[in-house]
Formats: sequence, C-alpha cells, structure tokens
Amino acid sequence: MERFLTPAPPTLVRRPERWDQPLDPSVTDADVAWLRSRQPFASLDHGSFPKTTPLDGVLRNDCRILRCEPGEVLVREGDYGGSAFLVLAGEVGVIVGGLPAAYLGRQPAQKLSWIQSLSRWWSRSPHAEARSIDEISLDNTSGGGASLGAVDDRPVLLLQDYSAILNARGPTRLGPGEMFGEVAAMYRTPHAATVIASTEATVVEIRWQGLRLLRRDRRFADQLEQHYRSHWLRLHLGEISLLRHVPAGSLDRIVGSVGLRSYGRMEWNADFRQARKLAAREQIEREPVVAMEGHAPTDLIIIRSGFARTSQSYGSGHRTTAYLGCGHFFGLDEIVQAIHRQDDQPAIPLQHSLRAIGFLDTLQIPIETFATEILPYVRQSELPESCQRTLRAARSRRGTTGADRRESVRDPDPTQSQTSGSDHPARTGHQLDHTGQMEFIVQNRLLNGRQAMVIDLNRCTRCDDCVRACGETHDGNPRFVREGLTHGHLQFVQACMQCSDPVCMLGCPTGAIHRHPTTGVVQIQESICVGCGICAASCPYESIRMATISDRSGNPYRDSRTHQTVSKATKCDMCQSQPSGPACVASCPHDALVRIDLTQSRPLQAFLEQRGPWQRREP
Amino acid sequence: MTANALAENVTRQRCPRSVSDPVQPPPTIIGQPRYTFALRRWIAIGITAAASAALIWGHDLIRHSLGREAVFSGSVLAGCLLLLMLLGVRRRLIVLPLWPVSVWLQIHLYTGLFACIAFWLHVPTWIASGWFEGGLAMLFLSVSASGFYGILLSRSAPRKLTGLSVQPRFDRIVWHRGQLAIAADEAISALPESADRCVIETYYRRTLKPYFASRPSWHYLLHPTGVQRRRLLAELNELGRYIDRDVSSTRDRLAAFIRHRDDLDYHRAMGYRLRGWLVIHTAASLVLAGWSLVHVVIATGMIH
Repeated sequence: MERFLTPAPPTLVRRPERWDQPLDPSVTDADVAWLRSRQPFASLDHGSFPKTTPLDGVLRNDCRILRCEPGEVLVREGDYGGSAFLVLAGEVGVIVGGLPAAYLGRQPAQKLSWIQSLSRWWSRSPHAEARSIDEISLDNTSGGGASLGAVDDRPVLLLQDYSAILNARGPTRLGPGEMFGEVAAMYRTPHAATVIASTEATVVEIRWQGLRLLRRDRRFADQLEQHYRSHWLRLHLGEISLLRHVPAGSLDRIVGSVGLRSYGRMEWNADFRQARKLAAREQIEREPVVAMEGHAPTDLIIIRSGFARTSQSYGSGHRTTAYLGCGHFFGLDEIVQAIHRQDDQPAIPLQHSLRAIGFLDTLQIPIETFATEILPYVRQSELPESCQRTLRAARSRRGTTGADRRESVRDPDPTQSQTSGSDHPARTGHQLDHTGQMEFIVQNRLLNGRQAMVIDLNRCTRCDDCVRACGETHDGNPRFVREGLTHGHLQFVQACMQCSDPVCMLGCPTGAIHRHPTTGVVQIQESICVGCGICAASCPYESIRMATISDRSGNPYRDSRTHQTVSKATKCDMCQSQPSGPACVASCPHDALVRIDLTQSRPLQAFLEQRGPWQRREP
Repeated sequence: MTANALAENVTRQRCPRSVSDPVQPPPTIIGQPRYTFALRRWIAIGITAAASAALIWGHDLIRHSLGREAVFSGSVLAGCLLLLMLLGVRRRLIVLPLWPVSVWLQIHLYTGLFACIAFWLHVPTWIASGWFEGGLAMLFLSVSASGFYGILLSRSAPRKLTGLSVQPRFDRIVWHRGQLAIAADEAISALPESADRCVIETYYRRTLKPYFASRPSWHYLLHPTGVQRRRLLAELNELGRYIDRDVSSTRDRLAAFIRHRDDLDYHRAMGYRLRGWLVIHTAASLVLAGWSLVHVVIATGMIH
C-alpha cells in the first residue's frame, strides 16, 4: 500500500540549452575578441543584448570564421541557405544569372533518347546502386572546371578558372564589412546570386538564429531592414498580383508602412518530428497564432513564405477551413467590408484565425494604407467573389445616397486587360470538400509537396509494379517503398515530394542537392555529393536515403584517403532523364498512382472527382 | 561596388522572374487519365462494338462469296493474341515512352473481348473437334475465363483491402506478424501477479500464443473468412466474467492484436490470390501463344 502512497522519485534530465550545439565548436576566445574588433561587430551596442544571449555568445556559438581559397564557391544562385556571410578580409565576386550549371559541378539531367534509354536498360548492372566512376567523382570529369576540395577540413567546391569567369562576367565585388546571403537566410528565399571568393578571403558565417539575435542592436537591425526595404521589398511587393497596377508613388508609401513579421521556427523540420506524434488538437494549439478569430482586422496579411492555416472555433477545438501558401492573402473580406461599410454599420471581426504551420513569413499592410494606396487601384475582377459582393452593395448605396467618402475600386478595363494579362482573383487559401482530408494534409505537412505520390487504394492491387519500375530505372534500387500515411482510400507514399519549402537543401556543404531551375525537381548531383547525410537527416518526411555506391561488378567504391566506402544521398528525381517520365506513374496498370501538387487543393479535388461519386465520400 | 549596388544589379537582372519562388509551377497532376473512367469505358466499348460489327460483316461477306472465312477469322485472332502479348512486353520495357501501362491494360482488356468474338466466329462450336484443336480451344477459353476473373478480382480486391485497418507491404507481412507476436507476449508479461493474470495467461498460452506464432492455414489462404477471428474474440470476451477492470485492458489489447493479425492474414491471402492469378494467367497465355503458333503453321501448310 505504501508504494502507492509514496510518489515515485522524478527522473532527472538536463534541459537542452540554446547553444548546446555551436555552429563551430573550435571558435576560441581569441577568435571572439578578434571578431569584436572588426566592423560591424565593433560598433554593436552590448547593452542591447540580454544576459542570456550576450554578443560574445552569439559570436562564439552562432558564427564561424571561414578561410576561403580563391575560386571557392560560397553561395549558389537558386539554392536555399540558412546563413548570412560577412566579408572580413579579401574580396568575393558576385555573379547574377548566366553561370552555367556545369561550372558549379552540376550536370543538368538530359532527356535520354529511345535508343539511349533502351541501351542503358539493356546494359544495366545486376548489382544495386552501381555507377561508373565518372558519375560519382569530379576527378574524372571536366565538371566545367569545378573540383571538390577541402579547406580546413571543410568540404568545398573550387572553381579552377574563377578569374576568367569573374572577369568575363564583370561581377559585383564585395569587400570587408559587406554582407551577403542575409535575405535568403532571414526570409527563406533562394539565393539571388552566386558568390565566389576572388582572392584569399576571410568570411564570417552567421547562422540565421544568430542573425536574428544581432538584430537586437537597433542600428544593425535598422541597417538591415532599411537595406531590405529599399531594395528587396519593392521587388517582392511588385510580384503580388493585387499590387500590379499600383503607381510608383503609392508603392513607395506602401514600402514605408508594411510590416515584416515571421512566426514559428525556421528549422520546423526538427520540431515536426516531435509535433507529428501529438494529437491533432494539441498540434494546432501549439502553432503560433498570427491573427485571432473575433478580433478586429488591422492589417492585410500576405504570406511571403511558409505555410499557414485558417481555422474556426468548433466545439472545444479548432476546425481547419483552408491552408495558405506563398502569395495568399488573409483578412481581405473583412478589410474590404470595413472600408466600404456604412458609417452606422459595425465592422465585421475576423471570421477565422490564422496560424503558422512550421515557419511563416508575412508582409502586413495596415488597413489604412490598403484603403488609400492599394484598393483604389485594384480591379474588381481581381478580388474574391465575396469582396466583389461587398463592393457592389457599396456602389448601389452610393447610387442612392450620393458620393461615398471612400474611393471606389476600379472597374475592369478591357483595353488594359489585353496588354497586362488576364485578371485572377486574389488567392485567399486552398480548400477541400472534405474537412477531414484537409486536416490530414495540413497536420502531416503534406501541403509542402509539389509532386507528392498519391495512390488510390481502391484501385491499387498492391502489385508493386511501381516499385519494380523505379528500381529498373534507378540502378536496381527503388527510390521509394510503397508505404506511407493513409487517409481513407488515399495513400501518401513516402517518396520525395519535391517540396515547396525544401529544408533538405539547407546545409548541403557543396550544393549537391539543388532544385532544377525550370522543372523545380530537387535533384542530387552525385559527382559533388560528399555523402555527409545532412539532407537525409533534415528531410522531415524521411524520403532521402544514403546508399553505398559500388562499381558495375558490385564492389563498393572506397575513398582514396580514408578507405571508407563511398555513400551518396538518393531520392526520387521524377525520372527526369527518362523519356517515359516518372516510371512509377507509367507502370501503374490500374491508374492508381499519380503525382499531385498538394500545395494547391484543386488538383486533389480534380483527382477525386474523376474517380467517380463513390470515391468522393468523406472517409 | 557596394551591397546596395548588388541588390540593384540583382533587381535589374531578375525582374522578369519571381524572387520568392523562381521555379515554374509543376504540372498539377501527372498520371491522371484524360477522361473519367466511365467515359473511357463507354469509348472503349463503342470502339470494340464497332470493330466486332466490322469483323462479323467481313466474315459474312467472305463466307457468302465462298472465300476462306476461317482464314480471315483465324488471322484476326492471331493478331489479337499478338496484341494481347504486348502488355507483358510493355510492362518490362517501362523506360520507353509508349503510353502508360494502364492504357495498354485497357487495350488488353478490350482486345481480349474482341478476341472472344473472333474466336466464336473461328470456332462456332466453341470446342473444336480433335485433341489438338479441341485442346487449343479449351486453353483459349480457360485463358479468357481467367482474364474475366482477373478483371473482377483486380476491381474487387483493392476495395476489400482498403477497408482493413492496416496497409502492410506484402513482403513485410511476415515481419509484422512477428512483431505482433512479440507485442502480445510483452502485454502478458507486463501484467502484475494476480489470480486474474492466471486466467488470461492460461488462455493466452493455450490458444492465442500458438495463433500468433503460426502461419495462416492453407485453407484460410485459399478462402479467407472471419470465422477464426470471431471465435477467438468471443472466447476472449467470455473471460470477462473472471477478470477485473485492470486486466480487462490487457484483454482489449489482445482483442486488438487478434483483429490486426486477421487483417494481416487477409492481406496475405488476397496478395497470394492476386499474384497466383497473374502467374496462372501469364503461364497459360504463354502456352496458348505457343500452341496457337503451331496451329498457324499447320493451317498455313494445309492451305498451301
């Protein structure tokens, strides 16, 4: 009896701390002191950093000093990165556009002809993951002048003819005190340029967590924000369809008033591993709230990167009503109603809550700015139907009561429409007929998949022809197994989804994993893959696997220095080189397997509708 | 040049493309058939009916003009057999862009239907006379029958399997079964010492442990039913009167394990059935192709 009355002693664990894993454990006190003597760190105000995260701590744990060889590729255009770089000594060259992929050690996947395809199939090795030596090492290929090297035990990609390349392209040069990569690091966008060390240079890499902390220094933060606002924000705003007819003067005023806010953790993949084990209700409650249902609308929220969900209170929980991605708006209905309501009519509060799924980056335009600088220049046809109804009602009132004090929205101008493309209503989120299906897709972060493999289990005979076909086109080793999350009669197979937010690409030391510039397929260039496994560890869906590579007789390749077996990251590449397209799709005899863009709801809806009425039933 | 100038440079050069997402949107669905299944079915039935009508008309025309109508129907049948065999070739040569296998399967199904009509014209008595011709006719009818059974099976089995609680891979079912046996053992071992434990442990040792450790019987694999599952669950439920609430949670877990095991066995049985049917249909088709070839050679020799 006593044992039930006496509480068991608690199990003691050490709570993880912020800097348990520094970016570079070899950074010393002397390094920190040296960094403190350089600009901009020398002019940072120590008082603006709290005791728990002092400036010295940031420099020691979130920074690392890189010694760069001339020709070293530091940042590749189009890649995603989680760090900003500050030049301390020497010079780096920046090339915007036009650098052939081969210069970065990448060979774009070439479509094979029928003959090539057949001969490759005929002469395939009986051993899994067999490669010729040319395919796995840059030493044996020209690689466009790129070679793999190591600087201070750090794997790097070196350009041999860097001076000729830089001179030919007349690059921008950055010297001591100048920063690059900060926009990509802070806002999760692809790098806009390739950066190559043009001389022996010293660069400090600051991971985005550290960069955020450094922004506690007001001057430093203002400098960064001012730089972003004056150069990049205009560009981002210009891409938003609703703002395309806004004149330059108004755009300047919008730039000045727009709020930049981020929610959640950029490394959401690490959190997701734990969060996915939680009940759906707990998951949604842990998501950062961006705007709360029932509150008055104050800003038009535009999703710049990441994902969000809108939800409504339902019972004692929350029901997902839509999911939002890049370029979607939140609060448009309520804001248009607030602007065009009658004076004696109350404003409608927000009808939904907006919550960040993982990481979310938003632009927030104050309602006043929207009313004066944007709405007058928006065509009615570019607004959602519900907003159009509000506007029609406002117009009919104006017709009876005289001029309204607010400016009206422009009517569609057919002549202008012909010159500037067709109008599409502003996107306010993706919805599915089945709430359960939408909850499932959001909860499991499947909305990240641009080409997710979905199997209709009501048609799949489990013959595994798809797996066999994948193996036949990928060196005897299928890039997926026919397993995965199941909801109703749909199975979301554990194959690479070519994510919209490819976290696997963050941290690749040589840029071997990259996104194809036109098809968007995330692919691995094996000749520069060093087999570190960072991408496989980062993938939240566990769709990347490390494979030991062997020669055509089945003997594993060994590294000439360490004598360890050579392994490479492998994943679904959508059979880019195959003339038949994805082999899994081509081989399915029962039309059960498709690759679907889940970042939008329409394709899945269309897929379900084609399957007949009984397939659309809520499971 | 400063970083500001860099941004301007980038802005100038990248304006036509999107900064936040420079990649083109992917095709929204890859592998979606162009038509709905119902429409596709009607189109295929229409084409098959038109082809059959043309075949019958041609056959009658040759017969009334005192031609060799058997040569005509036989040639069509041989052509159909060749076309039917191409599905297997396509499945193996997946690297070539010769329409998806699903299109070839549709061609296979409706060519098979058309071949039946050609066979009826070629062998009006259904079973030809003589052991060679009769055997060939029997084989054709068997392959056709297995083809029709295959259509039914491949349409009904997926729905039955989807309704189950688990969706294991066929090659992992044995592993799952092992894991289930281990989990059941652990559930019993975790029970505190008590008289109730004896009740449930005795039943587990006598009945459930051999069930979890054994493979499904051949009888079950050939004709899977829920009889055994229902019997075991009823017996387990009967034990309720001898055990208290603490131990009954373990009983509920064991009941869940029984359902899980039965689902795994059902997957196994249906997997064997689908694979077994494919092996039999393919093997019989190969024999039919060989036999038909001999028949064509003999017939050609007789004509000349």
